[in-house]
Amino acid sequence: MVKVTVKLIGPFIQAAGWSERVLDVPEGTTADGLVAAIKLDRNRPRIVTRNGAAIGPDEPVRDGDRVVIAPIYSGG
Amino acid sequence: MNGWTGRILRVNLTTKKSRVDGFDEAFARKWVGGRGFAAKILFDELKPGVDPLGPENKFIAAVGPIAGIPAPNTGKTVVAAKSPMTGGYGDGNLGTRVTEQLRKAGYDALIVEGRAERPTILLIEDDKVEFLPADELWGKGSYATNDWIYARYGRGAGVLNIGQGGENLVRYAIVRSLEGRAGGRPGMGAVMGSKRLKAIVVKGTRPIPQADPAAMKKLGQDDLRKVHEIDKQSGWSIQSTNGVLAWCNEVAALPVRNFRLTHHPEAWRIDGERLNEARVATYGCPNCTMRCGITIRDHEGREAEMDYENIGLLGSNLEVFDLDQVGSLNYLCDDYGLDTMSAGATLSFYADAIDRGAVAGDFKFGDAERAKELLRLAALRQGDLGNLLAEGSLRAARRIGRGSEAYAMQVKGLEVAAYNCKFIPGMALAFGVSPIGAHHKESWVITFELKQTSRESYGPEKAQKVIELQRIRGGLFEFIVSCRFPWIELGWGIENYPKYFNTITGLDWTLDDMWRVADRIYAMIKLFWLREFPDTNRRLDYPPDVWFDPANVDTEGPIAGRHLEYDKYDQLLQHYYDIRGYDRRGLPTKATLGRLDLGAEAAAAEKFGGLT
Repeated sequence: MVKVTVKLIGPFIQAAGWSERVLDVPEGTTADGLVAAIKLDRNRPRIVTRNGAAIGPDEPVRDGDRVVIAPIYSGG
Repeated sequence: MNGWTGRILRVNLTTKKSRVDGFDEAFARKWVGGRGFAAKILFDELKPGVDPLGPENKFIAAVGPIAGIPAPNTGKTVVAAKSPMTGGYGDGNLGTRVTEQLRKAGYDALIVEGRAERPTILLIEDDKVEFLPADELWGKGSYATNDWIYARYGRGAGVLNIGQGGENLVRYAIVRSLEGRAGGRPGMGAVMGSKRLKAIVVKGTRPIPQADPAAMKKLGQDDLRKVHEIDKQSGWSIQSTNGVLAWCNEVAALPVRNFRLTHHPEAWRIDGERLNEARVATYGCPNCTMRCGITIRDHEGREAEMDYENIGLLGSNLEVFDLDQVGSLNYLCDDYGLDTMSAGATLSFYADAIDRGAVAGDFKFGDAERAKELLRLAALRQGDLGNLLAEGSLRAARRIGRGSEAYAMQVKGLEVAAYNCKFIPGMALAFGVSPIGAHHKESWVITFELKQTSRESYGPEKAQKVIELQRIRGGLFEFIVSCRFPWIELGWGIENYPKYFNTITGLDWTLDDMWRVADRIYAMIKLFWLREFPDTNRRLDYPPDVWFDPANVDTEGPIAGRHLEYDKYDQLLQHYYDIRGYDRRGLPTKATLGRLDLGAEAAAAEKFGGLT
């Protein structure tokens, strides 16, 4: 297992019922896998960042990462 | 001609006379409305070099074919003039009942000329135009002014008004309407104030001309319901625009401490979650499906309507992390009629200049109480300090000197909106090439930069994306005139907008037709700038120097050690010019102008600066 801090942004907070948690997930869990584990709508457009940099859906998260899952904002 | 009234109301405050000018379908098709009408009228009618705060400047309120029709988020009006902030073309849009009322009164645009002898309310009721004394309102804030007008003319009247900031010619004074709406960042409120025009009140009773009113009614009502439902499902309105604050903090894009820093551990205290928890009311514009005006109790117990840009620049950028205190600063800006963004950025520049020893003063980052006092001094132009701050950051920097212009966070004289582009080249370009100065409304590419390309890239794909967004955001939505939020935040299809446009006008336009108008307007505005600044060059399209400064890099976090690079930015800017068909000075070439049917305007601008 690896330990990651997950921060949700905007409407994802209401969808999950929390905004930030430290989660233990199996090693090799990808960004999309994390979204599925949290039970967010996988069809909803999003941007996932790891330690401030965007990652693709198939990229694994690593122990100690801070992962942020946000909707696609367009800047008001 | 359907979709347009074909009439522009021209009012002169000096002579107290008015007349109606007609326009034909060729003009309507070429410029469509809103920003298109405003840019064309100001280019044609203003002599180059006129004082933006003199009677020769003209204040324009313009709507478009979709404006005011019951359809998703059509409550916007464009206000425009030569800008006191930048000296170039200036405009903005705001939600207001003027949109519908102006069209019902029988006009697509209002041109206000001259200067009244005494404070004046301009009252327009269909064909009747009256110049009413506003002496008892002069010196009052925007909220009291709005209430006074509602008490006399009813809440259904369309109202544009100014606070003390506009009266006192603060260069970043805005125009206000409804409970918390504001528009015209480049000093459109100061232009009203220079004309001693405290408010415009509009009431109309006529039907809006449409090709197929029954079809538009059904289409509009169906889509109002659909967009509202999408918003409910998406949850966007829970935090509205302020959802983006926490994200900007995570990806190092938040303005903190006059943009010196890109994130802050206390930012959570003013983020969208906290805003939603503190909510006491929610406001929106006419025909809105996704009301974004989240209102909280400020530190003094008043209702303050907040959004991300306000909180970014009056909160994190000033290092004020008490939400109720940010609310107070927001409230004061609204009541004085000051642009929250420029006000926040000007105060943060001042704190930074003190920090660096460029100027002596007692204002420090984080001091909300002193910030309130400084806003009052600026709005009333009291003393040397009030007058310094009322000029905005660029003019203040030029007065202070000592290298402070490098960290006056502005482009073309207009302060940067709440996105810190220390290492976001595409968004820095978007601010650089915005036709009114550093406004986010023209183009916003940050998620594209992070997700679909790389932050490090200065490639042509970023320039292409900036142009694509300019065509939609600064083009289409500003000339048809409608709020961009259903499209940008909920993914409401862009193809819906030609559908509305065609149903109303009876035309058969495609999106490509829209982009051509958008490109024409952007080129037209470039010519306006050329005429005002004949020695213009590509430096006018550069973001602030401090973003390029290796001494200003983050020391930790996602972009530690990174900054923009001049040669690479210049290449990115060249990509933008190449795609647009502009020359190395950043001006549309004669061939481009010809392609956009701007031959006559090119001939008029030619003598000012050697078009290529």
